Amino acid sequence: MSAVSAGRPLRVEADADVCVGSGQCVMTAPEVFDQDDDASVVVLEEHPTADQAADVDAAAVGCPVQAIVLHEEP
Amino acid sequence: MTVLDADPARPQLPFGRPNLLDLAPLYDVLRREAPITAVTTPAGDPAWLVTRFEEVRSLLADKRLGRSHPDPENASRINTSAVLEGPSGDIETEEREHTRMRRLLTPAFSAKRMRTLEGRVQQLIDGYVDALVAEHDASPDGVADLHATLAFPLPVAVICTLLGVPESDGDYFSSLSERMSSFTGGDAQAARREFHAYMGTLAEAKRTAPGEDVITDLVRAYDEDPDFSHDELVRICTGLLFAGHETTVNRIGLGTLMLSGAPDQWRALVEDPEGRVNALVEEMMRLGAPGDLGLLRYAHTDVEVGEETIRTGDAVMFSINAANRDPEAFADAEDFVPDRQEKAHVGFGHGGHFCIGASLARTELRATFATLARRLPGLRLAVALDDIEVRETVTGGVRSLPVTWTEQ
Repeated sequence: MSAVSAGRPLRVEADADVCVGSGQCVMTAPEVFDQDDDASVVVLEEHPTADQAADVDAAAVGCPVQAIVLHEEP
Repeated sequence: MTVLDADPARPQLPFGRPNLLDLAPLYDVLRREAPITAVTTPAGDPAWLVTRFEEVRSLLADKRLGRSHPDPENASRINTSAVLEGPSGDIETEEREHTRMRRLLTPAFSAKRMRTLEGRVQQLIDGYVDALVAEHDASPDGVADLHATLAFPLPVAVICTLLGVPESDGDYFSSLSERMSSFTGGDAQAARREFHAYMGTLAEAKRTAPGEDVITDLVRAYDEDPDFSHDELVRICTGLLFAGHETTVNRIGLGTLMLSGAPDQWRALVEDPEGRVNALVEEMMRLGAPGDLGLLRYAHTDVEVGEETIRTGDAVMFSINAANRDPEAFADAEDFVPDRQEKAHVGFGHGGHFCIGASLARTELRATFATLARRLPGLRLAVALDDIEVRETVTGGVRSLPVTWTEQ
């Protein structure tokens, strides 16, 4: 499970090939994730704000197929 | 084919529970002792039971387990209902059919599509709350039934709109659903055949009178794909209509019961419905424990878990209820704590079979509880928890939910 360090920049990556279109991420962090017409994941904000970090983390942990990866930027 | 032998000494499901909200204490013991435990199903057959959060997640995501069975005639049966009672599908085609079904259905149930439905859902809820108020005002003791007047009709109306099923058939198909998922009565299989016949007729009617709905889309896909069997079409339609109303009805009831036991949380919701409702709904999905059986898979090859080996063909049951209360995964796991740090739960399942209606359910649950808090801030149960009648079905839930309130 990924964790977000408070205050550190974060980069969001989502793998559309793995995505099963559950919509978990969109329901959890709607400012950062969306779905395309096939319901596949779309990242709206590759670099979410610190305020969005907790929701983004919850979306990554809650993804049923672990299609969301969070990278901590140096 | 099943290597796991029957053994009368093993614990047999369902485990007796003290009430509608708490689980059998045995789950705590099983979860502590081992990652998987050999048990006896309600039908008397052997199965593995998975109770820990970590193993439930990893095994639900494991493609070595599936809903079909290599030798279905000899597969362990779970119970005498017609819902998650045994294997379904063909081992050769399961993955292909599942991928096709998800591709067809996921767009219609996406979070994006659900946003366009929010206005309609709110309008429906407002109407049902109006009816609840009228029932309360007309009743000499000020009691109204939140189950019959809101929890039941809302998911039925929404799934009917989405699928293109006449809402006036609601009483008919919900009585079929009840018979299908019942442990008693003995006509679950007949009810399933009747449900299939009903959906088959409805699907046929979409051919001459197509609508903008999911069943019309499925019929079109069926017509264009020679590999898509009529049985599969009917099975998918039945599954959607069944799951689309049975499950959410129960969650609204359980959520109301949880909130009635957490007055501080209810007050916080009344003060800030929009800000509080999402966290409350997630905690209701984690802690709500309808039924006692969980999800079902069969091993398609040998799978080692800890010191045990699940052999090819063995039944594997996943206690979603137990996993969602695993103290290794959740602090104060038995308590209703909407602001908990651990956000991931398996209330909608996990892996490739993750509930396709999760966004729909969240949309309905969020709007329902935000509206109740806004319009009926003095809402409370009118009876004691133990006096609420529980349904003896796979999906559980209440038969009625008497509530009352004082004007505030």
